[in-house]
Amino acid sequence: MGDLLTYLPPLARGAGMTIILCLIVGVAGSILGFVIGLARASSIGVLRWISAIYTNFLRGIPLLIILLFTYFALPLLIPGAVFSQLMSGAIGLTLFVSAYIAEVVRGAIESVPRGQYEAAEALGLGFFNKFRYVIVPQAMRVMVPPWVGILLAMIKDSSLVSVIGFVDLTQAGKIVGTTTMQPLWAFVVVGAVYFFICYPLGRFGRWYEKRLSISLARPPGHTADLRAGDLGPA
Amino acid sequence: MISVTDLHKSFGKVEVLKGMSCEIAASEVVCLIGPSGSGKSTFLRCLNLLESITAGTVIINGHDLGDPKLNKITVRKDVGMVFQQFNLFPHLKVLDNIMLAPLKVGKKDRPATERKALELLDKVGLSDKADAYPSALSGGQQQRVAIARALAMDPAVMLFDEPTSALDPETVGDVLEVMKRLAEEGMTMVVVSHEMGFAREVADRVIFIDEGLIVEEGKPSEMFDTPRHERTRAFLRRVS
Repeated sequence: MGDLLTYLPPLARGAGMTIILCLIVGVAGSILGFVIGLARASSIGVLRWISAIYTNFLRGIPLLIILLFTYFALPLLIPGAVFSQLMSGAIGLTLFVSAYIAEVVRGAIESVPRGQYEAAEALGLGFFNKFRYVIVPQAMRVMVPPWVGILLAMIKDSSLVSVIGFVDLTQAGKIVGTTTMQPLWAFVVVGAVYFFICYPLGRFGRWYEKRLSISLARPPGHTADLRAGDLGPA
Repeated sequence: MISVTDLHKSFGKVEVLKGMSCEIAASEVVCLIGPSGSGKSTFLRCLNLLESITAGTVIINGHDLGDPKLNKITVRKDVGMVFQQFNLFPHLKVLDNIMLAPLKVGKKDRPATERKALELLDKVGLSDKADAYPSALSGGQQQRVAIARALAMDPAVMLFDEPTSALDPETVGDVLEVMKRLAEEGMTMVVVSHEMGFAREVADRVIFIDEGLIVEEGKPSEMFDTPRHERTRAFLRRVS
Protein backbone atom coordinates (compact mmCIF):
# COMPACT_ATOMS: atom_id res chain seq x y z
CA MET A 1 0.00 0.00 0.00
CA GLY A 2 2.90 2.30 0.81
CA ASP A 3 4.13 1.48 -2.66
CA LEU A 4 0.89 2.73 -4.10
CA LEU A 5 1.26 6.16 -2.51
CA THR A 6 4.55 6.77 -4.27
CA TYR A 7 2.88 5.79 -7.50
CA LEU A 8 0.06 8.27 -7.00
CA PRO A 9 1.76 11.03 -9.05
CA PRO A 10 1.96 8.93 -12.24
CA LEU A 11 -1.65 7.88 -11.76
CA ALA A 12 -2.60 11.50 -11.28
CA ARG A 13 -0.71 12.48 -14.44
CA GLY A 14 -2.50 9.70 -16.28
CA ALA A 15 -5.82 10.95 -14.97
CA GLY A 16 -4.90 14.46 -16.09
CA MET A 17 -4.11 13.17 -19.57
CA THR A 18 -7.43 11.37 -19.75
CA ILE A 19 -9.31 14.47 -18.65
CA ILE A 20 -7.54 16.66 -21.21
CA LEU A 21 -8.15 14.12 -23.95
CA CYS A 22 -11.83 13.79 -23.05
CA LEU A 23 -12.32 17.54 -22.92
CA ILE A 24 -10.80 17.99 -26.36
CA VAL A 25 -12.78 15.11 -27.83
CA GLY A 26 -15.97 16.13 -26.03
CA VAL A 27 -15.91 19.64 -27.45
CA ALA A 28 -14.52 18.88 -30.92
CA GLY A 29 -16.62 15.75 -31.34
CA SER A 30 -19.81 17.52 -30.28
CA ILE A 31 -19.29 20.48 -32.61
CA LEU A 32 -18.35 18.24 -35.53
CA GLY A 33 -21.18 15.85 -34.73
CA PHE A 34 -23.69 18.71 -34.54
CA VAL A 35 -22.67 20.10 -37.93
CA ILE A 36 -22.76 16.69 -39.58
CA GLY A 37 -26.07 15.98 -37.89
CA LEU A 38 -27.53 19.13 -39.42
CA ALA A 39 -26.22 17.98 -42.78
CA ARG A 40 -27.83 14.57 -42.25
CA ALA A 41 -31.18 16.23 -41.57
CA SER A 42 -30.82 18.72 -44.39
CA SER A 43 -33.13 18.94 -47.36
CA ILE A 44 -30.10 19.20 -49.66
CA GLY A 45 -29.52 15.73 -51.11
CA VAL A 46 -25.77 16.05 -51.54
CA LEU A 47 -25.24 17.07 -47.92
CA ARG A 48 -27.41 14.24 -46.68
CA TRP A 49 -25.60 11.74 -48.85
CA ILE A 50 -22.05 12.74 -47.92
CA SER A 51 -22.81 12.91 -44.21
CA ALA A 52 -24.52 9.51 -44.42
CA ILE A 53 -21.37 7.95 -45.81
CA TYR A 54 -19.41 9.57 -43.01
CA THR A 55 -21.63 8.32 -40.19
CA ASN A 56 -22.21 4.84 -41.63
CA PHE A 57 -18.52 4.33 -42.16
CA LEU A 58 -17.35 5.52 -38.76
CA ARG A 59 -20.12 3.72 -36.92
CA GLY A 60 -19.25 0.48 -38.66
CA ILE A 61 -15.63 0.23 -37.56
CA PRO A 62 -14.38 -0.61 -34.07
CA LEU A 63 -12.82 2.31 -32.22
CA LEU A 64 -9.70 0.23 -31.69
CA ILE A 65 -9.18 -0.07 -35.44
CA ILE A 66 -9.76 3.65 -35.95
CA LEU A 67 -7.17 4.50 -33.31
CA LEU A 68 -4.60 2.04 -34.67
CA PHE A 69 -5.24 3.33 -38.17
CA THR A 70 -4.82 6.98 -37.21
CA TYR A 71 -1.59 6.33 -35.38
CA PHE A 72 0.09 3.68 -37.54
CA ALA A 73 -1.47 3.70 -40.98
CA LEU A 74 -2.27 7.36 -41.64
CA PRO A 75 1.40 8.48 -41.70
CA LEU A 76 2.04 5.84 -44.36
CA LEU A 77 -0.85 7.06 -46.51
CA ILE A 78 -0.30 10.77 -46.13
CA PRO A 79 3.36 11.74 -45.86
CA GLY A 80 3.81 14.22 -43.07
CA ALA A 81 0.68 13.12 -41.28
CA VAL A 82 2.53 11.97 -38.24
CA PHE A 83 0.63 12.60 -35.06
CA SER A 84 1.69 12.39 -31.48
CA GLN A 85 -0.07 9.79 -29.42
CA LEU A 86 -2.30 12.44 -27.88
CA MET A 87 -3.21 13.87 -31.29
CA SER A 88 -3.88 10.43 -32.79
CA GLY A 89 -6.01 9.50 -29.87
CA ALA A 90 -7.85 12.81 -30.03
CA ILE A 91 -8.44 12.63 -33.78
CA GLY A 92 -9.53 9.02 -33.77
CA LEU A 93 -11.88 9.46 -30.83
CA THR A 94 -13.29 12.72 -32.20
CA LEU A 95 -14.15 11.17 -35.56
CA PHE A 96 -15.67 8.14 -33.84
CA VAL A 97 -17.78 10.15 -31.40
CA SER A 98 -18.89 12.70 -34.01
CA ALA A 99 -20.54 9.98 -36.10
CA TYR A 100 -22.74 8.85 -33.21
CA ILE A 101 -23.56 12.39 -32.14
CA ALA A 102 -24.47 13.23 -35.73
CA GLU A 103 -27.11 10.51 -35.81
CA VAL A 104 -28.51 11.64 -32.49
CA VAL A 105 -28.71 15.22 -33.74
CA ARG A 106 -30.39 14.09 -36.95
CA GLY A 107 -32.99 12.09 -35.05
CA ALA A 108 -33.68 15.00 -32.74
CA ILE A 109 -34.15 17.48 -35.55
CA GLU A 110 -36.42 15.08 -37.40
CA SER A 111 -38.50 14.64 -34.26
CA VAL A 112 -39.59 18.28 -34.33
CA PRO A 113 -43.10 18.24 -35.85
CA ARG A 114 -43.60 19.59 -39.35
CA GLY A 115 -46.11 22.11 -38.01
CA GLN A 116 -43.33 23.93 -36.19
CA TYR A 117 -41.46 24.49 -39.44
CA GLU A 118 -44.65 25.69 -41.10
CA ALA A 119 -45.55 28.07 -38.30
CA ALA A 120 -42.04 29.55 -38.32
CA GLU A 121 -42.08 29.91 -42.09
CA ALA A 122 -45.57 31.39 -42.13
CA LEU A 123 -44.36 34.08 -39.72
CA GLY A 124 -41.61 35.03 -42.15
CA LEU A 125 -38.68 33.54 -40.23
CA GLY A 126 -35.80 32.81 -42.57
CA PHE A 127 -33.73 29.63 -42.60
CA PHE A 128 -31.28 30.55 -39.85
CA ASN A 129 -33.80 32.20 -37.56
CA LYS A 130 -36.15 29.27 -37.99
CA PHE A 131 -33.50 26.77 -36.96
CA ARG A 132 -31.90 28.88 -34.27
CA TYR A 133 -35.04 29.97 -32.42
CA VAL A 134 -37.62 27.31 -33.21
CA ILE A 135 -36.23 23.99 -34.39
CA VAL A 136 -32.92 23.53 -32.59
CA PRO A 137 -34.20 24.55 -29.13
CA GLN A 138 -36.88 21.88 -29.45
CA ALA A 139 -34.41 19.36 -30.82
CA MET A 140 -32.13 19.98 -27.82
CA ARG A 141 -34.64 18.48 -25.44
CA VAL A 142 -34.62 15.24 -27.41
CA MET A 143 -30.88 15.33 -28.04
CA VAL A 144 -29.45 15.81 -24.56
CA PRO A 145 -29.96 12.37 -22.95
CA PRO A 146 -28.43 10.30 -25.77
CA TRP A 147 -25.74 12.91 -26.31
CA VAL A 148 -24.63 12.77 -22.69
CA GLY A 149 -24.72 8.99 -22.99
CA ILE A 150 -22.33 9.12 -25.93
CA LEU A 151 -19.95 11.39 -24.04
CA LEU A 152 -20.03 9.12 -21.01
CA ALA A 153 -19.24 6.14 -23.22
CA MET A 154 -16.44 8.12 -24.84
CA ILE A 155 -14.80 8.82 -21.49
CA LYS A 156 -14.62 5.11 -20.85
CA ASP A 157 -13.76 4.22 -24.46
CA SER A 158 -10.85 6.66 -24.21
CA SER A 159 -9.11 3.96 -22.23
CA LEU A 160 -8.40 2.30 -25.58
CA VAL A 161 -5.79 4.92 -26.44
CA SER A 162 -3.56 2.94 -24.15
CA VAL A 163 -3.01 0.52 -27.04
CA ILE A 164 -1.13 3.12 -29.04
CA GLY A 165 1.03 3.72 -26.02
CA PHE A 166 -0.51 6.96 -24.87
CA VAL A 167 -0.10 7.22 -21.13
CA ASP A 168 -3.64 7.96 -20.12
CA LEU A 169 -5.24 6.84 -16.88
CA THR A 170 -5.61 3.22 -18.02
CA GLN A 171 -2.08 2.95 -19.31
CA ALA A 172 -0.78 4.54 -16.10
CA GLY A 173 -2.78 2.00 -14.16
CA LYS A 174 -1.31 -0.86 -16.18
CA ILE A 175 2.21 0.40 -15.61
CA VAL A 176 1.70 1.01 -11.91
CA GLY A 177 -0.04 -2.32 -11.52
CA THR A 178 2.78 -4.31 -13.06
CA THR A 179 5.50 -2.28 -11.38
CA THR A 180 4.05 -2.61 -7.91
CA MET A 181 2.81 -6.10 -8.64
CA GLN A 182 -0.47 -5.04 -7.09
CA PRO A 183 -2.73 -4.80 -10.12
CA LEU A 184 -5.87 -5.09 -8.03
CA TRP A 185 -5.30 -1.87 -6.12
CA ALA A 186 -4.07 -0.05 -9.19
CA PHE A 187 -7.18 -0.87 -11.19
CA VAL A 188 -9.54 -0.19 -8.31
CA VAL A 189 -8.07 3.30 -8.13
CA VAL A 190 -8.24 3.66 -11.92
CA GLY A 191 -11.86 2.55 -11.96
CA ALA A 192 -12.72 4.96 -9.18
CA VAL A 193 -11.12 7.86 -10.99
CA TYR A 194 -13.07 7.09 -14.17
CA PHE A 195 -16.21 7.00 -12.09
CA PHE A 196 -15.49 10.40 -10.58
CA ILE A 197 -14.81 11.84 -14.02
CA CYS A 198 -18.07 10.46 -15.37
CA TYR A 199 -20.33 11.25 -12.46
CA PRO A 200 -20.37 15.07 -12.78
CA LEU A 201 -21.16 14.72 -16.48
CA GLY A 202 -24.10 12.50 -15.69
CA ARG A 203 -25.38 14.94 -13.09
CA PHE A 204 -24.96 17.86 -15.48
CA GLY A 205 -26.90 15.96 -18.10
CA ARG A 206 -29.81 15.38 -15.75
CA TRP A 207 -29.79 19.01 -14.64
CA TYR A 208 -29.78 20.26 -18.23
CA GLU A 209 -32.60 17.90 -19.15
CA LYS A 210 -34.66 19.23 -16.28
CA ARG A 211 -34.03 22.81 -17.31
CA LEU A 212 -35.16 22.07 -20.84
CA SER A 213 -38.34 20.40 -19.60
CA ILE A 214 -39.64 23.38 -17.67
CA SER A 215 -41.77 24.46 -20.58
CA LEU A 216 -43.45 21.05 -20.67
CA ALA A 217 -44.46 21.12 -17.02
CA ARG A 218 -48.09 21.65 -16.18
CA PRO A 219 -49.22 23.66 -13.17
CA PRO A 220 -50.36 21.45 -10.28
CA GLY A 221 -54.02 20.48 -10.41
CA HIS A 222 -54.24 21.15 -14.12
CA THR A 223 -56.50 18.66 -15.89
CA ALA A 224 -54.34 16.56 -18.10
CA ASP A 225 -56.27 15.49 -21.22
CA LEU A 226 -54.08 15.34 -24.28
CA ARG A 227 -54.67 18.44 -26.32
CA ALA A 228 -53.81 18.96 -29.96
CA GLY A 229 -50.62 20.95 -30.18
CA ASP A 230 -49.05 19.51 -27.02
CA LEU A 231 -45.76 17.69 -27.32
CA GLY A 232 -47.19 14.93 -25.22
CA PRO A 233 -47.45 14.09 -21.53
CA ALA A 234 -44.98 16.05 -19.41
CA MET B 1 -56.09 42.35 -52.47
CA ILE B 2 -55.89 38.73 -53.64
CA SER B 3 -56.14 37.78 -57.27
CA VAL B 4 -56.01 34.13 -58.28
CA THR B 5 -56.05 33.17 -61.93
CA ASP B 6 -56.25 29.57 -63.14
CA LEU B 7 -54.33 28.14 -60.18
CA HIS B 8 -53.04 24.61 -60.68
CA LYS B 9 -51.22 22.63 -58.02
CA SER B 10 -49.91 19.10 -58.34
CA PHE B 11 -48.10 16.91 -55.87
CA GLY B 12 -45.99 14.79 -58.17
CA LYS B 13 -48.44 13.28 -60.62
CA VAL B 14 -51.53 14.03 -58.56
CA GLU B 15 -53.27 17.24 -59.53
CA VAL B 16 -55.04 18.67 -56.51
CA LEU B 17 -55.99 22.16 -57.73
CA LYS B 18 -57.29 22.05 -61.26
CA GLY B 19 -57.58 25.64 -62.32
CA MET B 20 -59.11 27.87 -59.67
CA SER B 21 -59.75 31.55 -60.14
CA CYS B 22 -61.10 34.10 -57.75
CA GLU B 23 -60.75 37.65 -56.54
CA ILE B 24 -60.80 38.71 -52.92
CA ALA B 25 -61.11 42.38 -52.09
CA ALA B 26 -59.55 44.18 -49.16
CA SER B 27 -61.49 43.77 -45.90
CA GLU B 28 -63.50 40.94 -47.41
CA VAL B 29 -64.09 37.83 -45.32
CA VAL B 30 -64.26 34.75 -47.50
CA CYS B 31 -65.08 31.27 -46.25
CA LEU B 32 -63.95 28.22 -48.19
CA ILE B 33 -66.13 25.19 -47.69
CA GLY B 34 -66.11 21.76 -49.27
CA PRO B 35 -65.52 18.06 -48.64
CA SER B 36 -62.21 16.74 -47.31
CA GLY B 37 -59.62 16.37 -49.99
CA SER B 38 -61.26 19.00 -52.15
CA GLY B 39 -58.17 21.17 -52.07
CA LYS B 40 -59.35 23.95 -49.76
CA SER B 41 -56.32 23.77 -47.47
CA THR B 42 -53.95 23.36 -50.38
CA PHE B 43 -55.42 26.47 -51.97
CA LEU B 44 -54.96 28.39 -48.75
CA ARG B 45 -51.39 27.22 -48.36
CA CYS B 46 -50.56 28.38 -51.87
CA LEU B 47 -51.47 31.90 -50.81
CA ASN B 48 -48.46 32.16 -48.51
CA LEU B 49 -46.25 29.82 -50.47
CA LEU B 50 -46.25 27.02 -47.92
CA GLU B 51 -47.12 25.11 -51.07
CA SER B 52 -45.47 26.05 -54.35
CA ILE B 53 -47.62 26.95 -57.33
CA THR B 54 -47.49 24.53 -60.23
CA ALA B 55 -49.22 26.82 -62.73
CA GLY B 56 -51.38 29.90 -62.75
CA THR B 57 -51.06 33.34 -61.22
CA VAL B 58 -51.53 34.46 -57.66
CA ILE B 59 -51.11 38.08 -56.71
CA ILE B 60 -51.49 38.88 -53.06
CA ASN B 61 -51.17 42.42 -51.72
CA GLY B 62 -49.18 43.36 -54.77
CA HIS B 63 -46.79 40.39 -54.60
CA ASP B 64 -46.74 38.11 -57.63
CA LEU B 65 -46.21 34.67 -56.14
CA GLY B 66 -45.03 33.28 -59.46
CA ASP B 67 -42.11 35.68 -59.67
CA PRO B 68 -38.91 33.64 -59.29
CA LYS B 69 -37.15 36.65 -57.84
CA LEU B 70 -39.71 37.00 -55.12
CA ASN B 71 -38.45 36.54 -51.58
CA LYS B 72 -40.92 34.33 -49.71
CA ILE B 73 -40.26 36.21 -46.51
CA THR B 74 -41.59 39.45 -48.01
CA VAL B 75 -44.89 37.76 -48.76
CA ARG B 76 -45.13 36.06 -45.40
CA LYS B 77 -44.68 39.32 -43.55
CA ASP B 78 -47.90 40.46 -45.21
CA VAL B 79 -49.85 37.23 -44.87
CA GLY B 80 -50.57 35.73 -41.46
CA MET B 81 -51.66 32.14 -40.96
CA VAL B 82 -53.48 30.29 -38.22
CA PHE B 83 -53.22 26.49 -38.24
CA GLN B 84 -55.61 23.76 -37.21
CA GLN B 85 -53.00 22.37 -34.80
CA PHE B 86 -52.07 25.85 -33.45
CA ASN B 87 -48.34 25.11 -33.80
CA LEU B 88 -47.31 27.35 -30.93
CA PHE B 89 -43.63 27.13 -30.03
CA PRO B 90 -43.72 24.96 -26.89
CA HIS B 91 -40.33 26.00 -25.57
CA LEU B 92 -41.28 29.70 -25.44
CA LYS B 93 -43.65 31.52 -23.12
CA VAL B 94 -46.81 32.92 -24.65
CA LEU B 95 -45.47 36.47 -24.86
CA ASP B 96 -42.22 35.27 -26.43
CA ASN B 97 -44.20 33.26 -28.96
CA ILE B 98 -45.89 36.46 -30.06
CA MET B 99 -42.73 38.59 -30.02
CA LEU B 100 -40.34 36.20 -31.74
CA ALA B 101 -41.15 37.00 -35.36
CA PRO B 102 -41.40 40.81 -35.01
CA LEU B 103 -38.12 40.88 -33.14
CA LYS B 104 -36.22 38.69 -35.54
CA VAL B 105 -37.75 39.71 -38.88
CA GLY B 106 -37.05 43.42 -39.18
CA LYS B 107 -38.54 45.43 -36.38
CA LYS B 108 -36.11 45.10 -33.53
CA ASP B 109 -37.30 47.58 -30.94
CA ARG B 110 -37.96 45.37 -27.96
CA PRO B 111 -40.00 47.67 -25.70
CA ALA B 112 -42.35 48.63 -28.55
CA THR B 113 -42.71 45.01 -29.65
CA GLU B 114 -43.47 43.96 -26.09
CA ARG B 115 -46.15 46.63 -25.73
CA LYS B 116 -47.73 45.59 -29.01
CA ALA B 117 -47.63 41.95 -28.00
CA LEU B 118 -49.37 42.70 -24.71
CA GLU B 119 -52.02 44.67 -26.57
CA LEU B 120 -52.66 41.76 -28.90
CA LEU B 121 -52.83 39.38 -25.99
CA ASP B 122 -55.39 41.65 -24.39
CA LYS B 123 -57.32 41.76 -27.62
CA VAL B 124 -57.70 37.99 -27.64
CA GLY B 125 -58.59 38.03 -23.96
CA LEU B 126 -55.50 36.36 -22.53
CA SER B 127 -53.53 39.13 -20.82
CA ASP B 128 -53.03 37.03 -17.72
CA LYS B 129 -51.30 34.27 -19.67
CA ALA B 130 -48.32 36.26 -20.92
CA ASP B 131 -45.81 34.31 -18.84
CA ALA B 132 -47.36 30.90 -19.25
CA TYR B 133 -46.07 28.18 -21.50
CA PRO B 134 -48.35 26.82 -24.24
CA SER B 135 -48.58 23.44 -22.51
CA ALA B 136 -50.43 25.11 -19.64
CA LEU B 137 -53.17 26.46 -21.90
CA SER B 138 -56.30 24.84 -23.21
CA GLY B 139 -56.72 24.33 -26.95
CA GLY B 140 -58.94 27.37 -27.37
CA GLN B 141 -56.48 29.53 -25.47
CA GLN B 142 -53.59 28.24 -27.55
CA GLN B 143 -55.44 29.04 -30.74
CA ARG B 144 -56.17 32.56 -29.55
CA VAL B 145 -52.48 33.02 -28.79
CA ALA B 146 -51.75 31.71 -32.27
CA ILE B 147 -54.04 34.37 -33.70
CA ALA B 148 -52.26 37.07 -31.67
CA ARG B 149 -48.92 35.69 -32.86
CA ALA B 150 -49.97 35.94 -36.50
CA LEU B 151 -51.35 39.46 -35.97
CA ALA B 152 -48.05 40.61 -34.42
CA MET B 153 -46.55 40.87 -37.88
CA ASP B 154 -49.25 43.37 -38.95
CA PRO B 155 -50.39 41.31 -41.90
CA ALA B 156 -52.62 42.65 -44.63
CA VAL B 157 -54.34 39.27 -44.98
CA MET B 158 -55.07 36.54 -42.43
CA LEU B 159 -55.44 32.92 -43.51
CA PHE B 160 -57.24 30.46 -41.25
CA ASP B 161 -56.86 26.73 -41.93
CA GLU B 162 -59.69 25.01 -40.06
CA PRO B 163 -58.95 27.02 -36.93
CA THR B 164 -61.55 25.36 -34.74
CA SER B 165 -61.53 21.79 -36.03
CA ALA B 166 -59.22 20.56 -33.26
CA LEU B 167 -61.06 22.26 -30.42
CA ASP B 168 -63.59 21.13 -27.83
CA PRO B 169 -67.02 22.49 -28.72
CA GLU B 170 -67.03 24.80 -25.67
CA THR B 171 -63.88 26.63 -26.72
CA VAL B 172 -64.82 26.92 -30.40
CA GLY B 173 -67.02 29.88 -29.55
CA ASP B 174 -64.19 31.87 -27.94
CA VAL B 175 -62.02 31.54 -30.99
CA LEU B 176 -64.84 32.40 -33.40
CA GLU B 177 -65.54 35.50 -31.28
CA VAL B 178 -61.98 36.69 -31.79
CA MET B 179 -62.22 36.01 -35.50
CA LYS B 180 -65.52 37.85 -35.71
CA ARG B 181 -64.05 40.94 -34.04
CA LEU B 182 -61.11 40.80 -36.38
CA ALA B 183 -63.50 40.76 -39.32
CA GLU B 184 -65.42 43.71 -37.92
CA GLU B 185 -62.18 45.66 -37.71
CA GLY B 186 -61.76 45.24 -41.42
CA MET B 187 -59.15 42.49 -41.73
CA THR B 188 -59.07 40.65 -45.02
CA MET B 189 -59.65 37.03 -44.05
CA VAL B 190 -59.70 33.75 -45.94
CA VAL B 191 -61.10 31.01 -43.75
CA VAL B 192 -61.26 27.29 -44.42
CA SER B 193 -63.82 26.00 -41.99
CA HIS B 194 -66.70 23.66 -41.34
CA GLU B 195 -68.32 26.19 -39.02
CA MET B 196 -71.31 27.06 -41.17
CA GLY B 197 -72.72 29.31 -38.47
CA PHE B 198 -69.62 31.47 -38.59
CA ALA B 199 -69.74 31.57 -42.38
CA ARG B 200 -73.37 32.60 -42.38
CA GLU B 201 -72.85 35.30 -39.77
CA VAL B 202 -69.48 36.78 -40.58
CA ALA B 203 -68.49 35.92 -44.14
CA ASP B 204 -69.04 38.35 -46.99
CA ARG B 205 -68.73 35.49 -49.43
CA VAL B 206 -68.71 31.71 -49.31
CA ILE B 207 -66.85 29.64 -51.88
CA PHE B 208 -67.67 25.97 -52.33
CA ILE B 209 -64.74 23.92 -53.56
CA ASP B 210 -64.91 20.33 -54.74
CA GLU B 211 -62.25 18.19 -56.43
CA GLY B 212 -59.86 21.06 -56.95
CA LEU B 213 -62.32 23.44 -58.58
CA ILE B 214 -64.58 26.25 -57.45
CA VAL B 215 -68.08 24.93 -57.95
CA GLU B 216 -70.07 27.84 -56.66
CA GLU B 217 -69.62 31.07 -54.77
CA GLY B 218 -71.86 33.73 -53.44
CA LYS B 219 -73.16 35.55 -50.39
CA PRO B 220 -73.78 33.25 -47.39
CA SER B 221 -77.54 33.63 -47.58
CA GLU B 222 -77.54 32.70 -51.27
CA MET B 223 -75.20 29.75 -50.80
CA PHE B 224 -76.88 28.22 -47.79
CA ASP B 225 -80.50 28.95 -48.61
CA THR B 226 -80.57 28.73 -52.37
CA PRO B 227 -77.57 26.84 -53.70
CA ARG B 228 -77.60 26.52 -57.48
CA HIS B 229 -75.52 23.42 -58.04
CA GLU B 230 -76.51 19.92 -57.08
CA ARG B 231 -73.07 19.16 -55.65
CA THR B 232 -73.35 22.17 -53.36
CA ARG B 233 -76.75 21.03 -52.22
CA ALA B 234 -75.49 17.50 -51.61
CA PHE B 235 -72.58 18.78 -49.53
CA LEU B 236 -74.73 21.14 -47.49
CA ARG B 237 -77.20 18.34 -46.82
CA ARG B 238 -74.42 16.16 -45.50
CA VAL B 239 -72.99 18.74 -43.13
CA SER B 240 -76.17 20.20 -41.68
